[in-house]
Amino acid sequence: MLPLENVIILSFGTGGVVPDAGKIFGELGADVIKIEAKDNLDFMRTIGPDINNIGQFNESNRSKRSFGVNLKTEKGRGIVSQLVKISDILAENFRGGVMKSLGFDYENVQKLNPQIIYISSQGFGSGGPYSEYQAYGPMLSAASGVLSIWAQPDDPYPVGSNAPYPDHMASKHLVIAAIAALDYRRRTGKAQFIDMAQTEVAASLAGEYYLDYTFNKRIPKPMGNRSLYAAPHGCYPCKGLDEWCTIAVFTDEEWQSFCGAMGNPAWTRDSRFSDLLGRLKNVDELDKYVGEWTSTLDTNVVMETLQASGIAAGVVQRATDTLADPQLKWDGAIIELDHAVSGKRLYPAVSFRMSGTSPLKSTPAPLLGEHTEEICHDLLKMPDDEIKQLLEEDVLYNPENAKGAGGGMFG
Amino acid sequence: MKKEQEGALSGYRVLDITDSNGAYCTKLLADLGADVIKIEPPEGDPGRRIPPFAGDTPHPEKSLHFLHRNANKRGVTLRLDTMEGSNILKRLVTTADVLVDNSPPDYMEKLGLDYSVLSEINPGLIMASITEFGHSGPYKDRKGSNLVDFAMSGIMITSGYPGKEPCLLPGSPAYDSASVHASVSIVAAIYMRGTTGQGQYIDTSVHVTSRTGLYPWIIPNYSYALNPGGPPPTSENRMGAQIYPVYPCKDGFIRIIALTPRQWDALVRVLDNPDVLQIEEWRSFMYRIGNADDLYALMLEFTTKYTMRELFEAGRREGVPIAPILNIADFYNSPQTKAREYFVEVDHPVAGKADYPSPPYKWTETPATMRRPAPCIGEHNEEVYCRELGLSTDNLASLRGGGIV
Repeated sequence: MLPLENVIILSFGTGGVVPDAGKIFGELGADVIKIEAKDNLDFMRTIGPDINNIGQFNESNRSKRSFGVNLKTEKGRGIVSQLVKISDILAENFRGGVMKSLGFDYENVQKLNPQIIYISSQGFGSGGPYSEYQAYGPMLSAASGVLSIWAQPDDPYPVGSNAPYPDHMASKHLVIAAIAALDYRRRTGKAQFIDMAQTEVAASLAGEYYLDYTFNKRIPKPMGNRSLYAAPHGCYPCKGLDEWCTIAVFTDEEWQSFCGAMGNPAWTRDSRFSDLLGRLKNVDELDKYVGEWTSTLDTNVVMETLQASGIAAGVVQRATDTLADPQLKWDGAIIELDHAVSGKRLYPAVSFRMSGTSPLKSTPAPLLGEHTEEICHDLLKMPDDEIKQLLEEDVLYNPENAKGAGGGMFG
Repeated sequence: MKKEQEGALSGYRVLDITDSNGAYCTKLLADLGADVIKIEPPEGDPGRRIPPFAGDTPHPEKSLHFLHRNANKRGVTLRLDTMEGSNILKRLVTTADVLVDNSPPDYMEKLGLDYSVLSEINPGLIMASITEFGHSGPYKDRKGSNLVDFAMSGIMITSGYPGKEPCLLPGSPAYDSASVHASVSIVAAIYMRGTTGQGQYIDTSVHVTSRTGLYPWIIPNYSYALNPGGPPPTSENRMGAQIYPVYPCKDGFIRIIALTPRQWDALVRVLDNPDVLQIEEWRSFMYRIGNADDLYALMLEFTTKYTMRELFEAGRREGVPIAPILNIADFYNSPQTKAREYFVEVDHPVAGKADYPSPPYKWTETPATMRRPAPCIGEHNEEVYCRELGLSTDNLASLRGGGIV
């Protein structure tokens, strides 16, 4: 059996958080139904010319079904209400206020199904002056304070990463909360509303920095790759263009091994480097020496040489390196799935192993409206001619009548 | 602190034998009301030595990293690598629902405390293991660290400025990725046990979960750019502020998320319709990425007329997400944070009173909140060993004398 077998989850998701959460619910065996409209698409379907052929969308939306419905029509909302009645969890991260305007805010949904667990993931959380601000991950890492310390000390301003942080960490918090709520309902019969703020997820993951302010009245500054309790602790240039290896040396014993692994060059005998305090104090010079050593070597040579001496060292890997990474291969961490439009492409596999379940599986992302008819038929028991009629009226969408949707938001 | 209220996971007991690298996993469970008992050696978890400290004085009860990541847990001391210690752990296992450990591969087996032993004592036990590189495979015995694991995850090469060294994400992103995945599978196993009555063994590694979890899109980004017969695409690299541009304003910096032509038009309105920004080409996201330096030079003149807050609010009004780049204190003091009462005062017997970040969600039935401060070393020894497990105080004293607790 699978952990979430027989659990039905309605996903009003867009972007990163709720889609990624839905993927994990699906991997755990839930029936995840993504509610999609043709004229108000998950914006991740619109970042390329074909709504069904976007890598990021097809990654986040694996292991779920797509239900295409026009939420602007009363009939469409009526059908979604029927789905609400048979669902266990509703998860949403639409812009603040949108679910209410559709009539699917918690108050209304609870009337339709008092047993439903409703989990809302807003950028800034509900309540408060910013609750209805449209929010993307990169905006929230900035507004939470985390971006201000995600930089080198000499950067003119912080830029963070291409990754939409904290989206993919917020999604896991959402999954944990939803399953805990499901278990609470199993034990007590009580359902509830959970209101998550993505800024707060970002802050929670860096909580010690906020305590530095509340305890010590200090506003933390960016430290780049340096550490307060390890040196060398950094990202060092290696042979070749833009090639780097990270090294972390914590204890004095590790320092001795590190010196040995480098062949004990003369500078390592400088007494200023002999203990951690000295290395921290003279870290600029230390980093310069370490960088001179690494820059003559290939990244893998640095990593292998140091690892052989028990020193934490790791190459700054690119996507292609992670595809070749022997440990990730061993663990089957990357899988190939055959998507109806995109063909055979690579994706991350399920991230954990559970000994007591049937194998956790990942299935390709759905086309827009791919499962509309089967859901109407199997779950809602609607007669075929009614389904056909609603498709003709553009109340429901299947991949046929959804053709022409979206298209190139990047112009 | 709201100690008395029930949480969604109230009634479940979690034995936590992780160090600072797994502490976020069990914190997530403790935040939801689980009775998490942190088990550490009598001299204390090494994580208690992580700086900075409350008041900047090094002290095992004052590490901010420890105080944050162990709030809401109870704490006992126990030396697991002794016969008496491992016997006491086995007794605790009979009362527990979950055990989480992040010790190196084979360590629990060497202690005779691996899943096959513990599940015989308690078939309902859910045991979750977090290792650095896995229990088997070519890297199994390698040494990791937050920086090293983050580097290998594939996200670090996209962090920072092009041409400069890639930059670490603050906090413990690699370890926390493992922690959240372990926590996901733990609650899934708890829920499943409601039907089967059986526990299970969960295996996660920092290496795999930081690769799959922090920035999953980097793999399809590469794979979708592969064309049969064509040259392999370039791997994703650091793009600095090209995707999410940053501009100075009167009192700081803002980050703009303008992806669609509609969002760009809104941005132009926010800046009071400057002619030079109304040239058709700028409406294209790809064009803006290709000419980021020119655009930056143009934008400066306009963004510097306003404050962060003015631009944030105008962005909301016109329909383009604009974020102020707040520092840690700004976020603490922001009206949204205050309105949600996100920071909650916690009183720690040694570190003293301070506001802490609370769990990142509000629950209507079962509050997720701050119930207790992080435990002092051995704070709950008597409570757990004597009152709950039934050891006599003499027993405890002799264990203490023997260095077991």
